Amino acid sequence: MSEDKSQLKIRFFTREKDESLQVEDNPMYVPITLKRYGLSEIVNHLLENSTPTPFDFLIDGELLRTSLQEYLVKKGLSSETSLNVEYTRAILPPSFLSSF
Amino acid sequence: RETQMESKLETAPRSLEESRQLWHSSEIATADLVSRLGEQLRLILEPTLATKLKGDYKTGKRLNMKRIIPYIASQFRKDKIWLRRTKPSKRQYQIMIAIDDSKSMSESKCVKLAFDSLCLVSKTLTQLESGGLSIVRFGEHTKEVHPFEQQFSNDSGAKAFQWFSFQDTKTDVKRLVAESIKIFERARSFNNSDQWQLEIIISDGICEDHETIQRLVRRARENKIMLVFVVIDGINSSESIMDMSQVTYVPDSFGNMKLQINKYLDSFPFEFYVVLHDISELPEMLSLILRQYFSDLASA
Ligand SMILES: [Mg+2]
Repeated sequence: MSEDKSQLKIRFFTREKDESLQVEDNPMYVPITLKRYGLSEIVNHLLENSTPTPFDFLIDGELLRTSLQEYLVKKGLSSETSLNVEYTRAILPPSFLSSF
Repeated sequence: RETQMESKLETAPRSLEESRQLWHSSEIATADLVSRLGEQLRLILEPTLATKLKGDYKTGKRLNMKRIIPYIASQFRKDKIWLRRTKPSKRQYQIMIAIDDSKSMSESKCVKLAFDSLCLVSKTLTQLESGGLSIVRFGEHTKEVHPFEQQFSNDSGAKAFQWFSFQDTKTDVKRLVAESIKIFERARSFNNSDQWQLEIIISDGICEDHETIQRLVRRARENKIMLVFVVIDGINSSESIMDMSQVTYVPDSFGNMKLQINKYLDSFPFEFYVVLHDISELPEMLSLILRQYFSDLASA
């Protein structure tokens, strides 16, 4: 089976007051297979962090615990929609975070 | 399920009545632009249209000198003495307009501009009277909604509009390009003359798998099909495709996948593309890109 190359348009935003955690709100076209870890990697890349900060992600105020793809399926959406993805500094214990 | 999908494809999602109104409002919105685009295209396309003076007509542009003596000798009965400029017997070019019918088009409010662009380009080409016109919709599937063989009219425009609902949950540009090559091949064989073929794709430009698309675009070019991509941009908000980034993962020298963030348009698979914000920009942009294409051809 060939890998799913589907992509999705997203925009990152944050309510963090810390200036050093703000990214530009330009749209990004990302693989829909991304989960929390991959999204965190992107935000850290955008922030040009030398020591990565782990982030949590929320869509419509709901914590993302699956891949973007699974989220779309659950909500009955397609990759034609664009999502506003909120990120916050991770508050969950690291051992739990590594599980998704 | 498959048959259900196919039959769904065969029923136009929009009523003819509503489509006629939409077509009419696009006609009004583009009326002035049709003549502007027409003038510009005429300048570019005319050298490719070899018109000849032909006889024998009762009225015409120029006298056919060979017919003058018989005309007098016949007591002015053999009066088909005029030459006329005739249209070329074979169509010199075939133009396909492909409109993105995927859901992202309606979500980013590109629908009106897409309809207006379709109306503008098809009306202009019809006025030029020397090319075949085909209209295609694409999304998850690709479908020709007005074939080259058919004469285009306002009614065919309205009928073509019927096929657009902007609800497809995929934007399969690979499929579009592959299907277009097939449609053009068929059109070339029934027309069997040496002509150039052009496809104008009107879309919000959001599509995945740029590498595969690029290979297909190259194959189209080998088949002497030129592809022009008109990106409808920034209707929704301040957001622009020009600011959009693309996330990819490429293997480093150790084979580990490394995250890369580039400008989305840097890997855009179409060589000739324009970014459109307003319908009034289309005539200039289209003629600019066609001129560039022809100068590329000439220098190749
Ligand atoms: Mg789309």
